[in-house]
Amino acid sequence: MAVEVVMPKQGNSVESCIIIDWKVQEGDIVSVGDVVCEAETDKSTIEVESTADGTVLKLLYAVEEEVPVMKPIMVVGEPGEQVQEAPTGDSASEPTEREDSKPETKESTPAPEFKHASTAGSEHSAHPVSPRARAAATAAGVDATTLDPTGPKGRVIERDVIGALKGREPLTPAAKAALVEQGLQSPERGSGIGGRVRSEDLVQVPQQPSAQPLAGSDGSFPGPVVETAVKGVRKVTAKRMHASLAETAQFTMNAYADASALQSLRARFKASAPELGLQKVTINDLILFAVSRTLLQFPYMNSHFHGDTMRTFEAVHLGCAVDTPKGLLVPVIRHAHARSLKQLSDEFKRLASLGVEGKAQPDDLTGGTFTVTNLGGLGVDTFTPVINVPEVAILGVGGISLRAVQNEDDDLQFIPHIGLSLTIDHQAVDGAPGARFLKALCDNIASLDLIMAL
Amino acid sequence: MESYDLIVIGAGPGGYIAAERAGALGRKVLLIERDHLGGVCTNWGCIPTKSLLNSAKLYRHAKESADKGVVTESVKFDLKRAMSWKQETIETLRNGIQFLMKSNKVTVVKGEAECVDSHHVRVGDDLYEGTHLMLATGSSPIVPPIKGYDLPHVMTSNEVLEIEALPQSLVIIGGGVIGIEFASFFSSVGVDVTVVEMMDEILPMLEPEFAKLMRRELKPVKFHLGSTVTGITEEQVIFTDAKGKEQKISAERVLMSVGRKPNTGNLKRLQLDIGKNGVVVDDLLRTNIPDVFAVGDLTGKSLLAHSATRMAEVVVSNLYGVGGQRMRYHAIPWAVYSIPEAAGCGLTEQEAVKQGREVLTGTTQMRANGRFLAEHGKRAAGLCKVVIDAKSKVILGIHLLGPYSSEMIYGASAIIEAELRIQDVKEIVFPHPSVSEVIRDTLFALEHTL
Repeated sequence: MAVEVVMPKQGNSVESCIIIDWKVQEGDIVSVGDVVCEAETDKSTIEVESTADGTVLKLLYAVEEEVPVMKPIMVVGEPGEQVQEAPTGDSASEPTEREDSKPETKESTPAPEFKHASTAGSEHSAHPVSPRARAAATAAGVDATTLDPTGPKGRVIERDVIGALKGREPLTPAAKAALVEQGLQSPERGSGIGGRVRSEDLVQVPQQPSAQPLAGSDGSFPGPVVETAVKGVRKVTAKRMHASLAETAQFTMNAYADASALQSLRARFKASAPELGLQKVTINDLILFAVSRTLLQFPYMNSHFHGDTMRTFEAVHLGCAVDTPKGLLVPVIRHAHARSLKQLSDEFKRLASLGVEGKAQPDDLTGGTFTVTNLGGLGVDTFTPVINVPEVAILGVGGISLRAVQNEDDDLQFIPHIGLSLTIDHQAVDGAPGARFLKALCDNIASLDLIMAL
Repeated sequence: MESYDLIVIGAGPGGYIAAERAGALGRKVLLIERDHLGGVCTNWGCIPTKSLLNSAKLYRHAKESADKGVVTESVKFDLKRAMSWKQETIETLRNGIQFLMKSNKVTVVKGEAECVDSHHVRVGDDLYEGTHLMLATGSSPIVPPIKGYDLPHVMTSNEVLEIEALPQSLVIIGGGVIGIEFASFFSSVGVDVTVVEMMDEILPMLEPEFAKLMRRELKPVKFHLGSTVTGITEEQVIFTDAKGKEQKISAERVLMSVGRKPNTGNLKRLQLDIGKNGVVVDDLLRTNIPDVFAVGDLTGKSLLAHSATRMAEVVVSNLYGVGGQRMRYHAIPWAVYSIPEAAGCGLTEQEAVKQGREVLTGTTQMRANGRFLAEHGKRAAGLCKVVIDAKSKVILGIHLLGPYSSEMIYGASAIIEAELRIQDVKEIVFPHPSVSEVIRDTLFALEHTL
C-alpha cells in the first residue's frame, strides 16, 4: 500500500521548509533512511530521509516550493500502484496512513543505547546482573555480563563493575556508543585527551572458537562458516602483496650458509655476563647484522625500483617482518648499517614489541630499503618471500639444519647450515649480480665473528 | 663546557614554552635565540598584527557607529601612535617571557646556534652539551624570485610592520591568512588594497561559502583570483589573470605573503631527514636522529603558534613529565583576525567527504542570534557551519565567520577532542546572550530531538 513521507518537524519554531533539491525522482527505489531531498529552514539546511521502503510514486512538491512541516512531500509504494487523490491539500482525511509512517520517523525513536546494552546482556548472558550494576555498566560502556561476579548466586553487582573500571581511562561519548552498538572492546588507555579512549581506539573482540567441535555433526554442508571482514592490517597486506606480485618480475634463489659461527656466537652471548646486555641477541639479530653489512658492498641491492628510475640508498634502513596479533608488520630499523650488533638488536626488539602491542607508528613502518623475513623458527627450510615494493629484493631466512659437507680429507662432515631464500625483482637486478650478493652474504655469515670486527 | 638536560634552539612559542615547562619540572635548560625572545609570533606575527588590527577596528567602529547612537566627528587614524602601541605591546610581552625564563631558571643565550652534533651546540666561541636537543627555529617568509622582487617598495610581513606612513595603494601577493589580515588592516584605514591570489579562492582552510562571504565583507579590497604575478616594477604589479590575460595594477607598495619556509640553515651538520615541508618528525616529534626533537613551523606540520606550543609540551611531557603523550592534529583551531574574523576547527565538509565519510551539515546565519543582532544589526555577515558524521553523529568540524569567532573556537576544539556527538553538545549550557549560542542553535536546527 502506498505510504506518504512527510516533511519532518524542525523544532518548535519552524512551521515550514523550502525544498531546495530533490535527490530522488519518480520511479526510483528508496529505503528507510535514504536522503530524498534537501530542505531549508530559516536557520539551516536539512536533509529529509525516507521513512518508507519502496518505489517513489509521486513527488508532491517542486523545487523552491514551501512545505508546512508534517505535510506529505512524496508517496512511496509498489511500482504501478495507483496514487490516491493528491494529498497536498490540508484535508485531515488520512490520519491512519500518517500514523503508519510515523513510528519510523526519527523523533519517535527512543534513545537506543539502553536497549542495545540490555538486549546484548540477555543474549549471551553468562552471569545475571543486578540493576545497579547494569546501570553503572551501561553508563561506562561495559558489557556487565562478561564480568567476574562476586554477588550472591553468581550475580554481577555494582562493585564488580567499579572494579572492572579501575585504572581504565574514560571513554568519549562516541566511543561509549560504538562500544555498546558494535560490540567492540576498549583498551585501557586511548589516544585522546588524558588517555581518553576515542572510537578509533576500540578493537574487535577476538573471535570465539566455534562451539561445535565435532566436524559435520549436524550433517550440513559446508557446515558452519565464519565470515570475517577484510580490513586493517589484513587489507593493507592483501593489497600490497598482490600489487607486489602483479607489478614486478620476482624470482627466488635458495642457498645455505654455514651456521657454525652463528650458533657458537649465539651460545656465547647467551652465556655472557648479564651486565653486557648481550644475552638476548638472537640468530635473527646476527642475520640482520650480516645483511646490513653485506648490503654496503652491493648498493644495487639496497635500492628502490620506480619504473623509470632507480633510487640507490647509501644508508641501509632494514625492514624486518614481525608476526603480530593484528597480522604482518614490517618495522624498519633506520641506519641499520651504522648500528653495532647490540644497538641493532635492541632497536629491533623495541620496534617489534611496539608492533606486537599495536603501538607501532606509521613512521616506524616506512622508509625501508631492504627487508628480511624469518620463518626459521617455524620449521621452514626455504621459501619464496614476496618483495616489499618498491624495494628490489627480500631475504627469507629459514631454519638451521645439518648438511653433509666433504672436508679436505674427503671425509663427510655434518655441518649446521641456515637456509636463505633471496627473492629479486628481475626488473631491477639480474640473476648473476643477485647470486653474487647471496654468495657474499653466505660467506659473511659463515665468518660472522670476523665481520663483527670490521 | 656547560652541560644541560635540554638545549632549545629558538625562543618562539615552541621553544620558549618548552624551556619554561622543562625548567618548571626542575630540569637544567639552555635556550638559544639569535634575535628577540618570543620569536616571530611575539615580534613579527600574531601579536603586532593583532595590535594593529584592533586599532583599525576601533577606527572603523568610531566612524560607523552613528546608527547605534555614537556620533563622532573628524575621526583620524594615526599610524605613528598605532605603531607605538604595537611596539609597547611587543616589548611588554618580551619582558614577560624574560621574567618567565628567569623564574624557571632557564639559561638564555643570545646568538646564532650552530649544531655540532646531536648533543653539542656552539654559540660563538662557547660550546654547550645537552642530553636532549630541541629544534624550534621556526620559519621565514618565502620571497619568490619574481622579476622586481628586490625593489625597495616590495615588503614581506616583517618590513610591513615597520612602515612609517600609509601608502596610497598596496598590492598584496597571496591571499592566505597573513595576506588577508593585512588586506583587512590597510583597507580599513583607507589604503586602496588589491589582493592577487594564485588559487581559485582565498583562505584555503575555509569552507568555500565562507571564503566568498569574507571577500564580500572585505570590500573595498579588490581580488584577482587564479592569477599569477609575473613581474613588479617601481609603479606596477604585472600579472596573468584567470583568463590568461596580462593585467597591470599600479601600487605604491607591494606585500609578498605567499607562504613560509622552514629555517633549516644551521642544522645541516645534524644530517636530519628534511622533507618537502620541513624536518620530518613522528607523533612524538622525534627526528631521525636519536635525542633530537623538532617542533613548530620547522616541521611544516601545522604553521600555527599554538601548534608549536603543544608540540613542545608533548616533547617535555614525554621526556620529563607524566609522559605517554602524542601530538594530535585533528582538533587544532585556526583563526583569521580580519574584520570580520573567521575561525574553524576540524574537518570542512569537503575534507570529510574526501575521507569517504557520510556527513550531515547545518549552516546558521548569526543574525538569528540575540547578541549579534544587538551589536551588529541584521545586515551584518555572520555564519556558523557544523559538519557531523551522519552515522555516529560525532561533530567533525565547526566553522565560524563573525565577531568573537577566534574567542569561541576553543569550544570547538574541546568538543572535537572529546569526540562529542550532537546529543552531547545539546546538554552543554551556553551563556546567553552570547554569539557562541549559534553553535548550539545550529545543532538543534539539524536535529531537534531532545
